[in-house]
Amino acid sequence: MAAGRAIRNSATLSRVPFPRHTLNLMSAAPVAMRPPGSRSLLNSWQLLRALTTRDLRLRYQESVFGWAWSMLNPLSYGLVLYFAFGVILNAGFKDYPLFLMAGVFPWFWFQGAVQQSTTVFVGNAGLLKKVRFPRLILPLSIVFGNTLQFLLTVPVLVVFIVASHKGPHWSWLVTLPMLFTIQVVLTVGVCALLSSLTVFFRDLQHITEVILNLLFYATPILYDIERIPERYRWVATINPYAALAEGWRGAIMSGHWPGEQIIPCLLWAAGFLVLGLFVFRRLEDSFADAV
Amino acid sequence: MNATADTAASEGTHTPRHEIALALSHVSKRFSLVTPGGGELKSTVLHPIRALRHRTPHAELWAVNDVSIEVGRGEFFSIIGANGSGKSTLLRVMAGLSRPTRGKVTAAGRLSTLLELGSGFHPNVSGRENAIVNGLLVGMTRDEIEALLPGIIEFSGLRQFIDQPMRTYSSGMYVRLGFAIAAFMEPEILLVDEVLAVGDGRFQEKCYNHIATLRDRGVTIVMVSHDLGAVQRFSTRAALMEAGHMVLIGDPKEVVDQHLERLVNSSPEIRRSMQEALDSAISSSPEAQEKFERELEANPAFLQALAEKAKNEEMSPPGEADAARDDDAPSNP
Repeated sequence: MAAGRAIRNSATLSRVPFPRHTLNLMSAAPVAMRPPGSRSLLNSWQLLRALTTRDLRLRYQESVFGWAWSMLNPLSYGLVLYFAFGVILNAGFKDYPLFLMAGVFPWFWFQGAVQQSTTVFVGNAGLLKKVRFPRLILPLSIVFGNTLQFLLTVPVLVVFIVASHKGPHWSWLVTLPMLFTIQVVLTVGVCALLSSLTVFFRDLQHITEVILNLLFYATPILYDIERIPERYRWVATINPYAALAEGWRGAIMSGHWPGEQIIPCLLWAAGFLVLGLFVFRRLEDSFADAV
Repeated sequence: MNATADTAASEGTHTPRHEIALALSHVSKRFSLVTPGGGELKSTVLHPIRALRHRTPHAELWAVNDVSIEVGRGEFFSIIGANGSGKSTLLRVMAGLSRPTRGKVTAAGRLSTLLELGSGFHPNVSGRENAIVNGLLVGMTRDEIEALLPGIIEFSGLRQFIDQPMRTYSSGMYVRLGFAIAAFMEPEILLVDEVLAVGDGRFQEKCYNHIATLRDRGVTIVMVSHDLGAVQRFSTRAALMEAGHMVLIGDPKEVVDQHLERLVNSSPEIRRSMQEALDSAISSSPEAQEKFERELEANPAFLQALAEKAKNEEMSPPGEADAARDDDAPSNP
């Protein structure tokens, strides 16, 4: 603030001492290439917020329904699934609509973030080439934006819960924030990993699309994990999202504590976070040359 | 290769002081040239052996080759050179945007960059919001930017347009806003790439004057430019780059003269097309003609060199002269 006043009065500015910090750009390790430590956490947070809100606003700026699309998208998808499987194939059971929605809504959040993150560095080539800022903010803004969109869909989920005469459960106070946090961590890890790798291997964008599609059907969202024949159970075990999907549904539908289910959730999330950040750190210095 | 070390280092008043703001030591930057078919999944799968063999560097380009310079605090350092000589790559390495393949860059102080047109602007949001995001990107907080905004808007002269989406801006307006932001971010080191060429004459003048004020306040400036007149007027030192090498560092006037001499001596084709472009530009607008005459007055060495060239060519038939210089050059008189 004081600086702002000073610059208009050039006479004083010459006497204002600049904050001096020496940054050693390439001395020993590539670590030194990162933006100087002068950048405050406040600045990073404000930048993250500004980029996220800008992207969200731009996405819905010209559309009539605007923000409603965040809800209409997963809702319509869930309804189509309900019609196809619950009504036509008659594979549904009691509270099948809520059963579907409790899986589809968190899945859309995860899937949207992961898919968009693959192109975040490539799509912001101009920024990477010209401005020095913490690169991680770009994938984080994707996760942040999709998280906001998910939170917007929560009222729809509540309608389904009320219509099915479920809850509220006391356990939600703990389970929902916990699952929420785990999903954020998992998504950040996966997004950091995929966004970094896609810079050097562009096919990953399309591979991710295919894998996400497969993953949706391999995850117990349409069906209960109990329905999977014993010899295919391993599919759910190696699926990073399966335990989380089960957790969400158990918590929402019957107020279940996730129990030992929480262990694979935590392991996947922590594993992807560590791997994602590691790969990101290794590659981030080369982004500007590669995009 | 930087055999022509700081010749000016020991003389003159504008030589680097004791405090070094930006130091490059033996900086090189290599780019691997992409060969068709390399690196894609398809070719990797279909020709695994070839793909593996291609891991070894195939074609490479040393865009910057063993450059060592030290820029003192408060210096105005200009880098000139033909297109593709590595000036902009060097500037990006200085800015820490690109990691040098070899060598070391040391910068002491807050860097601000003005690289290319509209760096990081989003066309669909307003100029004001772009200014804010830009400030956040370089590391300021929202409050700091809000305080600087009136000055930025005033300087850019975009008052009534600042809340319009930037896609509606002309390229001149882009540059004006970009420059105003970079200049008002209180840099300690300002890196400027050839960007001011887009704005109109009056705004260019304003920018250069502002840069000069920054210099007088002790801001270190490194500028890449083709505007040789401005290089001579404002810089304290200049360097000439050729094919990645820094071939000359010294007094701006000497460096510019040397550069022009080399330009005039290079291919006659270049010279002819330069002449044609100049003629058409000058004949189409009296304003340009006036500017050209002013520039010529400011650069007597260039005029002299041109006159000598013309005299030399009159003495020998043009076709022969060209052919002697370059066998491939078509000799159309």
